[in-house]
Amino acid sequence: MEERNSTEETPRNNALAQRRSKSYRQSMRSCVEATHLAYTSGLLTALRIPRSRKAPKSCDITKQVDPDQVALLVKKEWQLSYVTPLYQFRHTQLKSYSKQLSAFIVSEKQQGLAIEVGQELGFKVNFSVVLGLAETDKDAETVFIQILSKQAFSAKDDAQKVVWSGWLTCVNGDLDYLRSLPLEFVSLPLFCTRGPESLTVLVKSWFEKTFDCCFGPLGINSTNLQWLASLWTGCHPTINIQYLKLVWTLPTLPPMDVTYTVHPQDAWELWDSMRQVDTTEDSISIDEVTGFIKGLQSHFFRHFRIDLSAGSLMQISTALGSSHHSGKIKIASPNYIPTILQLLTECALLKMPI
Amino acid sequence: MLDYAMSLRMGGGTCVRVLKFLIPATVVPQEAVVRAVSWLCVGKIAISTQVLFLRWVLTVFDMIDSKDHLRAIYGFIFSFVTEENLSPYICHLLYLLTRRESVRPFRVRKLLDLQTKMGRQPFLLHLLSLYKVFYPELVTLALPSRMRSGFKNHNSTWKVALSAVQKRNKVQVSSDISLTLRLKDKTNSRKRKLNHLELPSLSSSIQSNSSSSRSRKVFSLEQLHSFPQLLDNLHCIELPSQMGSLLGSSLALCYLDYVQDDSAFLRLNFWLGHALHEEFLFCSGDGGSGSSSEALHFLNRLLSTQHFLQEGFSSTEGFLYKFLNVWDGSLLRPQILGLLSDIPVVPSSCISQLLFEPLMQLFFTSTLFFKCSVIDCLNNMLLEWLTWHSVYALEDGLDISLNSHTPMNMTLSGFMDSVMELVRFVGRLATVGLQLEGCHCLLLSFILDFYETVCDMFLKYGLPLVVMPPAGVFYPALFATDPVSVDRLSYIMYRYKKNLTSAKCQQQETKQAFHISRQTCQEFNHYLLFMVSCLWNSKMFLPGMAIEVDQELLALSKVPEPWTSFDLIHHPAFLGCALDFHHKCWPERKDIDFNSIKAAKQWNWYMEFLFSQGFQGLQQFVQSSINRRSVAGISGQRGSQPTSR
Repeated sequence: MEERNSTEETPRNNALAQRRSKSYRQSMRSCVEATHLAYTSGLLTALRIPRSRKAPKSCDITKQVDPDQVALLVKKEWQLSYVTPLYQFRHTQLKSYSKQLSAFIVSEKQQGLAIEVGQELGFKVNFSVVLGLAETDKDAETVFIQILSKQAFSAKDDAQKVVWSGWLTCVNGDLDYLRSLPLEFVSLPLFCTRGPESLTVLVKSWFEKTFDCCFGPLGINSTNLQWLASLWTGCHPTINIQYLKLVWTLPTLPPMDVTYTVHPQDAWELWDSMRQVDTTEDSISIDEVTGFIKGLQSHFFRHFRIDLSAGSLMQISTALGSSHHSGKIKIASPNYIPTILQLLTECALLKMPI
Repeated sequence: MLDYAMSLRMGGGTCVRVLKFLIPATVVPQEAVVRAVSWLCVGKIAISTQVLFLRWVLTVFDMIDSKDHLRAIYGFIFSFVTEENLSPYICHLLYLLTRRESVRPFRVRKLLDLQTKMGRQPFLLHLLSLYKVFYPELVTLALPSRMRSGFKNHNSTWKVALSAVQKRNKVQVSSDISLTLRLKDKTNSRKRKLNHLELPSLSSSIQSNSSSSRSRKVFSLEQLHSFPQLLDNLHCIELPSQMGSLLGSSLALCYLDYVQDDSAFLRLNFWLGHALHEEFLFCSGDGGSGSSSEALHFLNRLLSTQHFLQEGFSSTEGFLYKFLNVWDGSLLRPQILGLLSDIPVVPSSCISQLLFEPLMQLFFTSTLFFKCSVIDCLNNMLLEWLTWHSVYALEDGLDISLNSHTPMNMTLSGFMDSVMELVRFVGRLATVGLQLEGCHCLLLSFILDFYETVCDMFLKYGLPLVVMPPAGVFYPALFATDPVSVDRLSYIMYRYKKNLTSAKCQQQETKQAFHISRQTCQEFNHYLLFMVSCLWNSKMFLPGMAIEVDQELLALSKVPEPWTSFDLIHHPAFLGCALDFHHKCWPERKDIDFNSIKAAKQWNWYMEFLFSQGFQGLQQFVQSSINRRSVAGISGQRGSQPTSR
């Protein structure tokens, strides 16, 4: 979208007037879906949706994390789930967990055959720790799981290939909540997977049986997608995002998908104009984010007479990464991993039942 | 005899015949069996005979007096496992004999080798799954759902003969010795994609099998089959790997009641909260399959568990507060309201926001039956709180942390605040509800149920609190058209009087500060005065009473003597009784003259008549609150001033 004049003329007054009623509705919804009084071991821990975040700083994550392990995480699309805290999970017992999980997978795949734990099997599982992603001292270290298997019709000496990978992580989780858990529990609320669904189900059921935890699907709602869009756009000066693509679904019959691609420089200028309202450099507030998206929507309306706010935001993508409403995320650049993971950890923690 | 047979002194054929006839009358001494096994080891007996012997042992297994010697030769018995023909029976016998100590890695490996040779045999699988119960980190397996549970029963004819002999000797018939494994019960309904409502199956935890715990004897819940077994092993039962599985059996629930471990309850609450949130709040995937029967079963099971344990789970409480905000009032109503009444005492600071606000919104926009259900639910909630208080309260501080699993500290005054808030809230609901529904008698009945609980708070539950019903409840009950309501109201007033008098006495004796203010007494007196003058003294609508109606308006209604229109004769509720009485008293009279009932003798008879109709509440009220001087021959005023403070 070329016209820069129209972006500057975005009527902000309208946005202000509407904001009050919409934020009331938003807060009502958030009261239902996320803001709650959590009774955890006797403490009343209120997890609230943050209204402002720190601006993402480009950090060279390879200083903290092993670059090979970083390479495992980036440039792949992950499906997200949330996990309740794991009981008696020990980072020191990862080898034993590997053996048990591989025996479990083999025995489930071949129903009715008893498998000895520890023998060489068709599936090999690797548990490893990714050190350095945890930000605070209350965050547990990230655990990375890989399942390797020989391909069918492969020669005897061929190496096993990775058929499934997944990782459990907690980045900058809510300190009050993490402190309120007893010591036997390890909270790694975010679970990212990639691979065949059958293996994902088996891994989840093994975790449930061994650590008495529960898995559930984690979606990324439109507010968080807007956050991601704004955060990534704000990184444009440092690293060229190359495009900002947003996909909306409109509730028409038949449902209509609208893909809206914005030139990165235009997007950044719009974002910057929103940012001038705020005095503090470091934090971004929800109002700026909603203003930014509103600006984009009203520009679209001006040209096509379609009000995108009637639909729901489904997917956003830039060169730095992409994210889908159903809970898929892809991080392309390793520099902003902590910010993204922090946002996702928050989403996962908000889903905790207690 | 066994020795004789097995030693083949008379040759193989005789051995077979002797074995076939060996039906023990009472018990089988284990020595005999041990000796017979030793003959087996010698190796001279034909295979079919060995099979026969093993089958015999399995049949009479329950009658062997003690099994420790047999367990001592476990290894010898195990060595026979490789014989193809004997394998099934040996596995069955080993299954019955295996203890935790018998499971060794080399035995596991041997069985697994056998499996590779023989393929998937159900008897091997059963034995290995028992090994898995004891040592899950050595072997893992998944039992296919279509496999039959239990070992094959080879011995039916023998068993029949055995039971016949036992019946003859009047010995208790032995139970079926093929132990069934408890597989996850597959529901017959369509398989759900998201099965968060399925109770996990009991399995022993891998975690606890560290070297430290191996030394002490640990009993796994999977082996629990009877209550005496639970009692014997209470000190060494280990918790399962998934706490949610405990909800599946009532035996396990008994154990849950005994557990004091906080982490265990946190695990259970996480699982329960997760299931409830996924099913009702997050509604992902299936698109809100709330009306399905699985959800109903799950909630019913949760309700019965909570009633068994006599308290609610904290995750249920948290879930309900969130759910009430989005509930439409009709989805699984009985279950949700049942769960709501199990909530422990809520601090008065947040009770309004958490509980009252959403309930109010639902209440005022709902049907009559929902209103009745809500009042009933709040009544149950109050009953539970009061019961809890009367059982667990200490002198000055209430320490909840001992018994419930939300360790919130609450003092006596905090508790009384919450109760007061609840009673006042129900009063407000009742007032407006009655107005909305036109004083429907069903709603009134539930409201009077509630106030029957409230009026006795002091005497029955020991809580020094008396709260009077609001005017919006009292007057509609007094003027109700059905006699049952008036009767119940009289009973309630009678109980209030008893509570107040005894509270006053105690206050004077012990000089403790009670929460009974002058205002409460004044209200009570006010109500009592009105009730007596209305019902007994026939003084209604007169100036100075609570309800004043303009005399001209009354004149317009063309009702003769309007001040008598709500006394015990003319009250719409009692008019039928008065008519009946009149007919009984003066059957020959054609014209009804109610004033003649007011004569002294007839009045007493009328009162007797009313009480005999079942109006016990009225009887107690009249006897306690009204001093009856018998005044002969004066119509109009009957009785004297009621006693009041």
